[in-house]
Amino acid sequence: MKKFKRILAIVLKELQDIKKNPNILIMYALPVFLTFLWHNILPVMEETVALSFGLLFLVVMVGMYVPSIMIAEEKEKNTMEVLLLSPATPLEVIIGKGLLTFLSIIMVALLLIFITGNQDGALFLIILATALTVIFAIMVGMIVGLVAKDQRSTGIIGMPVYLLLLIIPQTAGLEQGVLQRLAYLLPTYHYLLLLEKTLTAEITTALYLTGLGFILFSSLVILALLLYCYQRRGLT
Amino acid sequence: MIELRNIAKNYNGTTALQEVNLKVAAGEIFGLLGPNGAGKTTAIKILTGQLKPDAGQAYIYEKNIQSHREDLLSKMGIVPENTNLYERLTILENLKFYCRLYNQDYSLIDRYLKLVDLQDFKSRAVKKLSRGMKQKVLLIRALLHEPDILFLDEPTSGLDPGSAAVIHKILQQLNEKGITILLTSHNMEEVDKLCHRVAFLHQGRLVEEGTPQKLKLQYSSSDIKIVYREEGQVKEKIFDMTQRDRLAQKLSLLITQERLLAIHSQEPSLADIFVTITGKELT
Ligand SMILES: Nc1ncnc2c1ncn2[C@@H]1O[C@H](COP(=O)(O)OP(=O)(O)OP(=O)(O)O)[C@@H](O)[C@H]1O
Ligand SMILES: [Mg+2]
Repeated sequence: MKKFKRILAIVLKELQDIKKNPNILIMYALPVFLTFLWHNILPVMEETVALSFGLLFLVVMVGMYVPSIMIAEEKEKNTMEVLLLSPATPLEVIIGKGLLTFLSIIMVALLLIFITGNQDGALFLIILATALTVIFAIMVGMIVGLVAKDQRSTGIIGMPVYLLLLIIPQTAGLEQGVLQRLAYLLPTYHYLLLLEKTLTAEITTALYLTGLGFILFSSLVILALLLYCYQRRGLT
Repeated sequence: MIELRNIAKNYNGTTALQEVNLKVAAGEIFGLLGPNGAGKTTAIKILTGQLKPDAGQAYIYEKNIQSHREDLLSKMGIVPENTNLYERLTILENLKFYCRLYNQDYSLIDRYLKLVDLQDFKSRAVKKLSRGMKQKVLLIRALLHEPDILFLDEPTSGLDPGSAAVIHKILQQLNEKGITILLTSHNMEEVDKLCHRVAFLHQGRLVEEGTPQKLKLQYSSSDIKIVYREEGQVKEKIFDMTQRDRLAQKLSLLITQERLLAIHSQEPSLADIFVTITGKELT
């Protein structure tokens, strides 16, 4: 019970902090703005693309950026010290930060779906795939935050990872070579595929479950890596 | 109550502490003094379990801090060297967050805010506070879970004398209520006024320890300074106590001619002792 209260305290603190942090607010606003733009002003784009690209951008960029900054900033400003001296355990700190990121991204995802207006019966499938991919992205962001010593270095460490996970899936369809095979290893590729197929109603149960399986498997690999980094570095 | 036994600590090659033994009794205000880099912060971090010593043990309530960390931390309040508050959050948001982490109700917040005269600023973001205000918030934060022991790393550095005096007064009040206090400082005047006992750290070693009075006595010279009038001017002369006869002669002369203004014993300040021990001027 006390554990739960402490996690809630961290969630609330992060929420109060995010509301006053323009860097993070802009990150949340960007996918909303882009999706709105793609959907309304660029009608040449296929209808489903606006939402799937918007969601991918939200899940990857925000999902990774926010937790990495949250952790790195606490290290940089020595506030992590306060958390670690308090009754809160490092695990509670991580869960609290992860939970707020997760919930906020799901809210924004719903907003994107609302903006583009194409939900139909696929809403549940989209949200489920999004939820799983967000968890993956958050864990990647946390690894970046653990490895980086301050906010600046999260950018340097994170940028190649963001590009890999964001750009490769989007360009994979254009070429059938190495890129395609590389993309196949990325959960973000499967996520994008799931979104597009779901939105065009071409999805089959087998296809959906395979994609979900990939995302789940990648998440487990990343979880192992996260635990390893945490063992090595802790939160300091 | 607080004890360091044979502590040594290196930071990849740099020796920060060696063979440090220290005991602080319950109810004391203890001052840890030393120039920059002497190892004061390192000592505090070892006592609060933030650093593991390379050798030796740290005890609080006769329990090893490393093996009873969680239990002991709940009894300690810590004011760190650097201001680690959430800068974008307000004073109140910072303090409430801390209360929630410790499962405490908010009742103490208002009481302490009033005590340090910050209640009008409680909705102001921390980044917009002055250094002294932040220091007060740090002190309040350290007190919210009602600790028995307070560690303060340079609690008044960078504060004007007025703000420092407020902090001193609160520390004294807390101590009267039974809280044991260990603080580090460069400010000898502060330590002299506030601390029951002090210790000097120099290059990682504890070089001197005792009450301020004892140390002053120990380091006092036997010099006596007399101040007198001579040809319309005020003059001073310092006599060594070995020159007893000359001093007596001079004094009787001055007294009969009604020219004697004052006699001072040459008691050193803690600052003088600090310079004697470390060979460094205070900054
Ligand atoms: N994280 C660290 N890495 C390497 N060396 C360190 C580290 N922290 C402290 N030191 C070194 O250990 C020694 C003691 O440092 P410490 O911070 O304990 O001194 P201090 O007495 O608190 O000084 P100050 O009055 O400047 O706060 C110094 O030589 C310092 O350079
Ligand atoms: Mg220090």
